[in-house]
Amino acid sequence: MTNKNKILFAILYSLTVSLSKNIFVLAAAVVVTMTMFKKSFVRPLLRLNIFNIIAVITLALTWPNVLDGIMMGLLIALRVNMIYIALATLVFPLGFAGMYQALLLFRLPEKLRVLLLLTLRGIFILKDRFDSALISLKLRAPKMKIQSFTYVTGSVLLQAAARSERMERAIKCRGGFGGFNAIMSEESGIRNENALNGLESALSIS
Amino acid sequence: MHISEGVLSGSVLAAGWLGTCAGVSLGLKKTSSDNIVRSALLSSAFFLASLVNVRIGPGSTHLSFIAPMGIILGYGAFPAVFVALLLQAVLFHFGGLVVLGANCFAMALPALLVHLAFGRAIRETKKKSVTMSLSFVAGALAVIMGASIAGAFLGLTDENFLGAVKLMLLAHVPLALIEGAATAFLISWLKTAAPEFLK
Repeated sequence: MTNKNKILFAILYSLTVSLSKNIFVLAAAVVVTMTMFKKSFVRPLLRLNIFNIIAVITLALTWPNVLDGIMMGLLIALRVNMIYIALATLVFPLGFAGMYQALLLFRLPEKLRVLLLLTLRGIFILKDRFDSALISLKLRAPKMKIQSFTYVTGSVLLQAAARSERMERAIKCRGGFGGFNAIMSEESGIRNENALNGLESALSIS
Repeated sequence: MHISEGVLSGSVLAAGWLGTCAGVSLGLKKTSSDNIVRSALLSSAFFLASLVNVRIGPGSTHLSFIAPMGIILGYGAFPAVFVALLLQAVLFHFGGLVVLGANCFAMALPALLVHLAFGRAIRETKKKSVTMSLSFVAGALAVIMGASIAGAFLGLTDENFLGAVKLMLLAHVPLALIEGAATAFLISWLKTAAPEFLK
C-alpha cells in the first residue's frame, strides 16, 4: 500500500469508527483492529486509557443518567483505542518524511508545505535553545515562576528569530523556497526517498 | 483543550474542517512569503509550549501561547496552529487526524479574534501598564474562547455533554489566568526588547 493510500485508509477508518453507532459496524471494526494489533501498542494504549478512565468518570458524573454516561464514555474509549491502533499501524510508522511525501500527493498549497518543513526545523532550533535556557534558569532559581519562564521564552524566540532570518536568507540564496519542493515534486523513486531521508536527517541533526 | 477522536458527530466534524479550511486559506493568502519563517517559529513555540510543564502550587500545567500567536501573526495564526496540531498528531499522537479540523478551529479562531480586538491597541500604546493589562485580557480570553468553542462542538454533538462542558470551562478558569499572566509578561517583554517583532 502506498503512503497516500495508508493515510487515506486511516482517515476513512477513523471516520467510520467515529461516526458509527451501529453495533455490527463497530464489531466489524473491532475485528479489523485486532488484526492490526501489535505488542508494542500496549504501553501507549495504557497511557491513553488513563485519560479514557477520567473521561468515563466525568461523563458518569455529568450525564443525566449515570449508566448512559458510563456507556457513552466506554463507547468513546473503544473508538479512541481502535483509531489509535489504526493510526499507529498505518500513519505513525511513516515518519515525517513519509508523511510529507504523502501530503505532497494531496496537493497542499506550497506555502503550507514550506511552513510544515520550517516548523519542524523551528522545533529543533527552539528545543535546543529552550533546553539550555531552562537548565540555566533552574540552576539560578530552582522554583521556576511564570514570569521567568515567559522571559526565557521571549529571549529564546528572539534568538531563534534571528537565526531563522539568516536561514531564510540562505534558502533564498540557494534558489528560494522552491528549492525544497524541487526535491519532492517528481514521482516517488529511490533517489527521491534518499533525498527525503537526507532532508529528514538534516532537519533533526542541525 | 484537545478534543479526542471518536467524540464529535459527523456534522460537527465537517463544520470544524470547513472553518479550518476557510481560515487556513485566508491565513495563507494574507501571509507573505517573508513572514513564513516567523509563522513557522511561532508554530514551533506553540508546539513546544505544550510539552513544557510549569509548576503551579501542587499541580502543573502547560501554556499554549494562543494569544501571542494571534497578536503577532494575525490571520497567519490559522495555518500556524494547523501545522503545529498536525505535527502534534503525527509525532506525539496528541489529538487525531479526523478531529484536527475541529481542534484547529477551536484554537486558531480565538487567536484571530484576539488579534482583531487587541492587536492594534497593544502595538500602538506606549504605556507598559496598558500593554500588560490588554495582553492579560487577550491571553485569558483566548483560552476561555478556545474552551467555549470546544464546548460548543461537544454541545452540538449531544446536549448531554453540556454537564461535562460546564466542568471543562470551570477547569479552564485558572488556566486562563495563568495564560493571561504569561501573555502579559511575554508581550510586554517583546515590546521592550524587540518592538519590530510585534509589527
